[in-house]
Amino acid sequence: MANTFKSDPIEFKPAVAQPAPDSTVGIVAWMRVNLFSSIPNAMFTIFIMLGLANFIPGIIDWMFISSTWSGVNQDACVGDGACWVFVKAWSQQFFYGSYATDQIWRVNLSLILLFVVIVLSFTLPASYRLKVSVPLFLVLPFVCIAILDGRLLGLEHVNTDFWGGFSLNVLMAAAAIIVAFPFSFLWALGRRSDMPLARSISVVFIEFFRGVPVLALFFMGSVMLPLFFAEGTNVDKLVRVWIVLIFFMSGYMAEVFRGGFQAIPSGQYEAADSIGLGYWQKTLLIILPQVIKVSMPNILATFVMLFKNTVFLLIIGIPEVLQTLLTALSNSNWLGGHAIEGYVFVGVIFWVCCFGMSMLASNIEKKLDTSHRN
Amino acid sequence: MFKQKTTEQIKAATRKTESGSHAFYNNPKYRAVIYQTLLIAGLAYFFYTIIGNTLGNLEAAGIKSGFGFLGNAAGYDVLMSLIPFESTDSYLRVFIVGFLNTILVSILGIVLATLLGFIFGVMYFSRNWLIKKVSVVYVETFRNIPLLLQILFWYSAVLATLPGVRDSLSLGEAIFLNVRGLFIPKLVGQDGSTLVYVAIAIAIVAIFVMKSWAKKRQDETGQQFPLLYASLGIFFGLPLLATLVAGIPFVVDYPVLQGFGFRGGITVIPELMALTIALSVYTGAFIAEAVRAGIQAVPHGQTEAARSIGLKEGKIMSLIIVPQAMRVIVPLLNSEYQSLVKNSTLAAAIAYPDLFNVFVGTALNQTGQAIETIFMAIIVYFAVNMFISFVMNRFNRNVELVGR
Repeated sequence: MANTFKSDPIEFKPAVAQPAPDSTVGIVAWMRVNLFSSIPNAMFTIFIMLGLANFIPGIIDWMFISSTWSGVNQDACVGDGACWVFVKAWSQQFFYGSYATDQIWRVNLSLILLFVVIVLSFTLPASYRLKVSVPLFLVLPFVCIAILDGRLLGLEHVNTDFWGGFSLNVLMAAAAIIVAFPFSFLWALGRRSDMPLARSISVVFIEFFRGVPVLALFFMGSVMLPLFFAEGTNVDKLVRVWIVLIFFMSGYMAEVFRGGFQAIPSGQYEAADSIGLGYWQKTLLIILPQVIKVSMPNILATFVMLFKNTVFLLIIGIPEVLQTLLTALSNSNWLGGHAIEGYVFVGVIFWVCCFGMSMLASNIEKKLDTSHRN
Repeated sequence: MFKQKTTEQIKAATRKTESGSHAFYNNPKYRAVIYQTLLIAGLAYFFYTIIGNTLGNLEAAGIKSGFGFLGNAAGYDVLMSLIPFESTDSYLRVFIVGFLNTILVSILGIVLATLLGFIFGVMYFSRNWLIKKVSVVYVETFRNIPLLLQILFWYSAVLATLPGVRDSLSLGEAIFLNVRGLFIPKLVGQDGSTLVYVAIAIAIVAIFVMKSWAKKRQDETGQQFPLLYASLGIFFGLPLLATLVAGIPFVVDYPVLQGFGFRGGITVIPELMALTIALSVYTGAFIAEAVRAGIQAVPHGQTEAARSIGLKEGKIMSLIIVPQAMRVIVPLLNSEYQSLVKNSTLAAAIAYPDLFNVFVGTALNQTGQAIETIFMAIIVYFAVNMFISFVMNRFNRNVELVGR
């Protein structure tokens, strides 16, 4: 009997799996769930579709199909579409301002240095990352200024009046946030300090620079700041704006850091105390690295704000990218109404940069978020 | 023996520390005093230097400091003014005109931005894929483009392409839109219109009274009162009734084409339109993001729990999700409103006559009183922002989690 079981086992053969019903897979089912799940939903979908069908072809036609891409001057633009020749003809101005053409490599070099330092700060081995990248960052603005100005390095001197364009926006924002970093850290520490005077001074400083419109700060930089220096001192316009941006930024960043400090569990402070570290050892070696890590998304968000705010410089007459665009639009050779092309172009540049940075910020945030919500 | 000696030594060492034979500069108390003294001394020296320099510079430039210039005639005209203004009026009047214009654009911006923000923020949670994507595209597009660029875009690329006065777009021959601005009819109150204004005031008071009565009744008896419909009824019904009783004491002043422009009605200048549109679209994107964050911060378990006790979907939203989401949204709204007010200074780029433009811009140029004008403007922005903060904090106290 036992043998029969062995020699004649009952084989289990599952029935061939049926395909999922047509109503749950495929594009039709997806559309039914996501676009036409109820009558109001279907109405909204049709409404939006009609709207898109009305606008999108026209926009595509204007941007790509009937637009003009080649040519050197306005006469090339005869079609109804966008005149990208305008953007092409002015592109060097948009990116580099009036910087001399044969010296543009210096602007590029500064941008490349900035890029390299940023990449290094992410890729260096963790054991000496902070020790190398922090000094590099702090030296960078001054190296860039030396390269762009040229006098110190024995290069041809380029006056700051000729600096401009989008590269100025980028470098200005970077230089401001880098120098603001240590300051904001000090203000944040001051605001958390036990010393009442230090605390109140920090609070007044932070709230002043956060509460005042940026434009008022720029006016202060261009009209009031010269009054503060001794008679006869002539401080460069860009340096004054730089100082203003640094103060503005350190006010905002101090609040970001304060949030970071509050996010560090008190056990970290107590552990550092218990192994006998002094105040600065504790702050710089234990707390600060953690604060920078947890505040990274907010630091990036603040930087995006600063970067967008650099276009405000046009109001005090500094030739950053938007000011260059306005100059180009009022140029007598280009009076054909290219406003939309110009704004779209500058808008897209800013959008790509800012959107990229917000994506980066939310990625870091997701990586840091170890909670189990949802 | 040996062990005992060690303990003795330790004790001795400890005693030494306690008795304070260490240098006084290692005592945190003294240290704090020293640091703060140094800080104050440094600051005092800093301010002493800059004040000295400033006075010296002002003297060299021949500018008399002080607020005396406020009484002088301004000598320039302002593009738009909510109160009567002539170029012979004083700088103080310019200040008030600018202030009112700033308040006007701020209120318009805040109302529209809140509307846009809540609509697009809630749209993100739609089950309709297309609606959700529209919300995402709106937020990501307008949040990541500098506001100044948007203002200039609306002003010189969109509104400047509107038709001229003679071929204005019109809606029922009452509302006109052209390159000179938007022209809308105005209601002019005649005799008896006071009754209607009184009715509006009574309606608002009545709604608050009714609200507290309904809450009290619900606490006592558990019966709910259809508050929303009743308030709407009172708010529109009472003034309407008053209007009819007083015999419709209003005349509509329509804008009419006369010569080269429109006369009558209310004129909304394109500068105001561009600034309002740009501010509200830009801030609306941030508010939409805040609303989305607030709703997402409510754990999904709350929805499930609400469903399990049998609440309807609409009630879940209004009774469970929104009150909890508001705790996150309100503080964010507070800072968005404040930055909207601060951003309204960008009016300078398109010459909308806000406080900053007419006062810090033009008045400063004419008088050279840099410190006084900037100081006055900054005080105003601080005051407005403190007011917003005060109102929003009061509101926040209503939605906050009550700890028991």
